[in-house]
Amino acid sequence: MAATMVSSAGGLLAMLNESHPSLKLHALSNLNSFVDQFWPEISTSVPIIESLYEDEEFDQHQRQLAALLVSKVFYYLGELNDSLSYALGAGSLFDVSEDSDYVHTLLAKAIDEYASIKSKAAESNDEAANVDPRLEAIVERMLDKCITDGKYQQAMGIAIECRRLDKLEEAITRSDNVHGTLSYCINVSHSFVNRREYRREVLRLLVKVYQKLPSPDYLSICQCLMFLDEPEGVVSILEKLLRSENKDDALLAFQIAFDLVENEHQAFLLNVRDHLPVPKTQPLQTVQPGSNDPPSAQNDSSTAEDVQMNEGTPASNVNVQDEDPKEVIYAERLNKIKGILSGETSIQLTLQFLYSHNKSDLLILKTIKQSVEMRNSVCHSATIYANAIMHAGTTVDTFLRENLDWLSRATNWAKFSATAGLGVIHRGHLQQGRSLMAPYLPQGGAGGGGSPYSEGGALYALGLIHANHGEGIKQFLRDSLRSTNVEVIQHGACLGLGLAALGTADEDIYDDIKNVLYTDSAVAGEAAGISMGLLMVGTASEKAGEMLTYAHETQHEKIIRGLALGIALTVYGREEEADTLIEQMTRDQDPILRYGGMYALALAYSGTANNKAIRQLLHFAVSDVSDDVRRTAVLALGFVLYSEPEQTPRIVSLLSESYNPHVRYGAALAVGISCAGTGLSEAISLLEPLTSDVVDFVRQGALIAMAMVMVQINEANDSRVGTFRRQLEKIILDKHEDTMSKMGAILASGILDAGGRNVTIRLLSKTKHDKITAVVGLSVFSQFWYWYPLIYFISLAFSPTALIGLNYDLKVPRFEFLSHAKPSLFEYPKPTTVPTTTSAVKLPAAVLSTSAKAKARAKKEAEQKEKEKATAEKTDSSSAGKGKSSNEKDGDSMQVDAPPEKKAEPEPSFEILINPARVVPAQEKFIKFLEDSRYVPVKSAPSGFVLLRDLRPNEPEVLSLTDAPSSTQSPAGGGSTTGQQGSASAMAVDEEPQPPAPFEYTS
Amino acid sequence: MDPKLTEVSQQFDRFKAAMTRKDYNTCTQLLSQLKVLLTGFRSLPPLFEDTPNAIRELTLARDIYEHAVLLSVKVEDQDAFERDFFQLKPYYTDAGKRLPPSPNEYMILGLNLLRLLVQNRIAEFHTELELLSSTALENPCIKHAVELEQSFMEGAYNRVLSAKQNVPNETYGYFMDLLAKTVRDEIAGCSEKAYDYLSIKDAGQMLLFTSDQELLEYVKEEHPEWEMKDGFVFFQKAKDSAPCKEIPSLQLINQTLSYARELERIV
Repeated sequence: MAATMVSSAGGLLAMLNESHPSLKLHALSNLNSFVDQFWPEISTSVPIIESLYEDEEFDQHQRQLAALLVSKVFYYLGELNDSLSYALGAGSLFDVSEDSDYVHTLLAKAIDEYASIKSKAAESNDEAANVDPRLEAIVERMLDKCITDGKYQQAMGIAIECRRLDKLEEAITRSDNVHGTLSYCINVSHSFVNRREYRREVLRLLVKVYQKLPSPDYLSICQCLMFLDEPEGVVSILEKLLRSENKDDALLAFQIAFDLVENEHQAFLLNVRDHLPVPKTQPLQTVQPGSNDPPSAQNDSSTAEDVQMNEGTPASNVNVQDEDPKEVIYAERLNKIKGILSGETSIQLTLQFLYSHNKSDLLILKTIKQSVEMRNSVCHSATIYANAIMHAGTTVDTFLRENLDWLSRATNWAKFSATAGLGVIHRGHLQQGRSLMAPYLPQGGAGGGGSPYSEGGALYALGLIHANHGEGIKQFLRDSLRSTNVEVIQHGACLGLGLAALGTADEDIYDDIKNVLYTDSAVAGEAAGISMGLLMVGTASEKAGEMLTYAHETQHEKIIRGLALGIALTVYGREEEADTLIEQMTRDQDPILRYGGMYALALAYSGTANNKAIRQLLHFAVSDVSDDVRRTAVLALGFVLYSEPEQTPRIVSLLSESYNPHVRYGAALAVGISCAGTGLSEAISLLEPLTSDVVDFVRQGALIAMAMVMVQINEANDSRVGTFRRQLEKIILDKHEDTMSKMGAILASGILDAGGRNVTIRLLSKTKHDKITAVVGLSVFSQFWYWYPLIYFISLAFSPTALIGLNYDLKVPRFEFLSHAKPSLFEYPKPTTVPTTTSAVKLPAAVLSTSAKAKARAKKEAEQKEKEKATAEKTDSSSAGKGKSSNEKDGDSMQVDAPPEKKAEPEPSFEILINPARVVPAQEKFIKFLEDSRYVPVKSAPSGFVLLRDLRPNEPEVLSLTDAPSSTQSPAGGGSTTGQQGSASAMAVDEEPQPPAPFEYTS
Repeated sequence: MDPKLTEVSQQFDRFKAAMTRKDYNTCTQLLSQLKVLLTGFRSLPPLFEDTPNAIRELTLARDIYEHAVLLSVKVEDQDAFERDFFQLKPYYTDAGKRLPPSPNEYMILGLNLLRLLVQNRIAEFHTELELLSSTALENPCIKHAVELEQSFMEGAYNRVLSAKQNVPNETYGYFMDLLAKTVRDEIAGCSEKAYDYLSIKDAGQMLLFTSDQELLEYVKEEHPEWEMKDGFVFFQKAKDSAPCKEIPSLQLINQTLSYARELERIV
């Protein structure tokens, strides 16, 4: 017999009106089970059921049942608020574990409700938030259920959202994979917790949990501690690891230090370094000056090591024999870690990498130089900027040397930036920065007689060289600043000081700069304003008020602008804390201060993708009366959104079609900033039309932004890169093109091949922390609209794309690993083969067969020989690259690093890379470590500095890059330029790049 | 036999006995207990579980609810009628195919139709009607109700009233009395609209009263707003009290025109 189905709830509803309570109960419970089907019928009787719920005489269970029924009906009617309030009335009958749409929806609603109440309470600092205890109970039941069911991620998400740190802790500690959940939680707290204060609480909790674990993940703990700005915690962990018997622990400590350095939090790093306890007894007196004098520390550390190895031999220091060997080891390790923490080790290694792998294409520069008109000083200096950016950090200044005559045309401020450009090229050359710049620096007395422009530029250059690592140079810059009255020199010194002392909040330096500001000179004052900001980055110090007051007093727009940016810099990353200041600035009468307000918004909320900030910026972008403010508001979106680059093109797409060219310009740069180095397809599609905009400066912005997006992307990845390169060439060669866009094109070609094609623009570190220097660099860079020399700040945002493996001695051993992708996907762009002397566009990829290739090469080499006869000391980087690759082929057949020769053969699907190797961001996911390798990485990171554990410590090591900084001023610097990095000989001495002989302007 | 079932049927027997005694108080009490007992059976609506005694239980329950409906008519309780009828209905509609048809089914359905007619719930009346099969419509009980409704709608009130004489079942008497009153209310409503005043004699005839006294009482109770003066009934007051809702045409026209003007300005 077929089961009979009931067709109407009418009977049950009628039963509700019966007088006998048990009949009502019967009706209620049956209705409850049929409500999914008959809710339309029941909805007409809701008042009756409600009255049952409110009937005090009714027994508790019945009332709850009635409430549950009403709640369900309201749910079906879409009245979720009513539904929730009745569900709360249903008490325990509302079963959170039930698997139905109703329960799911209401739970979501309840959690939303609870979270919003809690966060509102937290925001208004109202401790006694009156949360409905029933609501709380439901959420807690849900949390408990998630935890018992093993859905820890859900539980953590809910707990974080609802600000229930107690539950969060429970979820983490009870999960089966505590490490996994913890790292998940860190991710979540960075990407979804918007309020800074709360995020800190979460992280503090995480650290607490981490420390309770039997085998703590020190890498993650230290990252958290860094965010919390608690150097003591990091110090104690590092000390523990360094004192450990196990060599691996020391390696881990070094790895931690490298990871911390990557986040560029200078003040924090210094704090950690200074707090590291000294060894109980000091085995070597010479170790102590280490912190002051880095090069000698390096040497000493190697001595210390020697001593340790030779221990017991009569030759060793007498003191050492008395010492506890542990302390000796500790002292030695301490030295190393101090070197790392001060950034010197990584900067040095980076420098070596960039130098040895430099693949910049001088031909491009040559083309630019030839096509630029002599009299056009804008394009002339743009070429100098492009050269500096192209060679940033590589120490290769061949181009300048070759063209001294041409260079001498730079006068006044152009000379200033030409000199400063050297700072970009030699960025990170900490040991020899001073001596490099010496010829241009202001001489002690007035006897130097150099132009104040080149002197100012040199000071600026020193700042760029020592950016964020200015320990050694600060004092010198201060002295220079005090001893001059020339505003140009003051300008350079202020910028230099700001860069060198980035974020240190040094009061004395601040006072020095303030004195300059109060001279009320427009040129010096502007730099002073920016410099103050750099000094106070992210401190939210009350100095901002002082600066604001002065900005109101002064008449000079330049000073106001400098101060406005400076104030903005002080609130970097402070999020809500900065709201009052932002409010104050954005409501100011003066458009320049409002403009600063936009930057303040951008920097305070940088990388947070905070909705409130975005909304505010969009509002200003369309409503402010000043074009400057509107442009900046749009541009600022780029900073707020760089943690989610996919979002930016969507958000600014409408703005990029605005009638107002300033807004279009801002949109272009916003995309450039937030999508920098990603090669994001949507970003390129958005920028493409803008590169042929009707307004010249929009074209300029779009070209620069495009270059930022496409940096290190080659044609195999996105064919539009090739198109773009050709477009740049066309613009540069076109005589009728506007100066503005021509300048954009020149800069763009510089950025596209930045840092010898081995750097990208990265605003986030690998652990998803903001890189302060990079963000600051880009924000000041975006000021180049008003002041071209600030273009150099972009070099702060460059980070080398390399995997550098290090052994215990912090040397680079020979170590191979796999990139599981076609080599052509990530190879360097091919060097431009034929110098384009005519305006005809030559397609570099047109020739494919080997014979044609060889022919072209022969031709090119012949031409180059002819061209470069005069300057024998330099080798074109491209031919150097060729030579090297053939060298490598001879020496090691394994290496498949030389694509041009292999073109005709079917391309292999992988390539073996040799430490240190260029690994572009897109390539990172293909990186694999070989299993049978001698070295095992401490942390399997696809790029950056990776400490390697040596599995066969007894065999002799083969080093790729040697760590022997030579301080001798070898006059013939030419011979060293060819990197012998791949040669098979053990301990190949690859010379540290020599400081080039100083050159003088002939004018 | 299932002891529970036995208990219910014994109780039901007592109920029937009380019913024949016309001891309606006892009946109501027993009925209430019976209903509670019935909730214990899982074979009954809305669960319709297939228990071994399902058919017996269903039949018994149906019987009980049929009696409950009849009882409510006897005690003249319309709410109880509605309640019991709705609880009875699933036995006809959903379980009908499994049970032998009940002899009382059409009579009770007819009663329900009549009730809806009395309460002037014409929409529901037709809804119920639609659910009935064509054979059911042939049944005299149903037919009676349908004819009544037709006369009622036509305004052939005399036919409605005369139908009282040939009811198909004596239980219908109660509703037929009530129906007379419904008809009278209808007429009163119409007269109010149609006439300014009526003589008491005419009014009495119109409203189907046999004596003026009855008319006076009726007016006093149901329509205190009617005025009795000089042998006439005046409806004027009632008309005034219900203000006529005029369409504010001028205002609307003005508004529309101003919108049009403004629209023109924008474009």
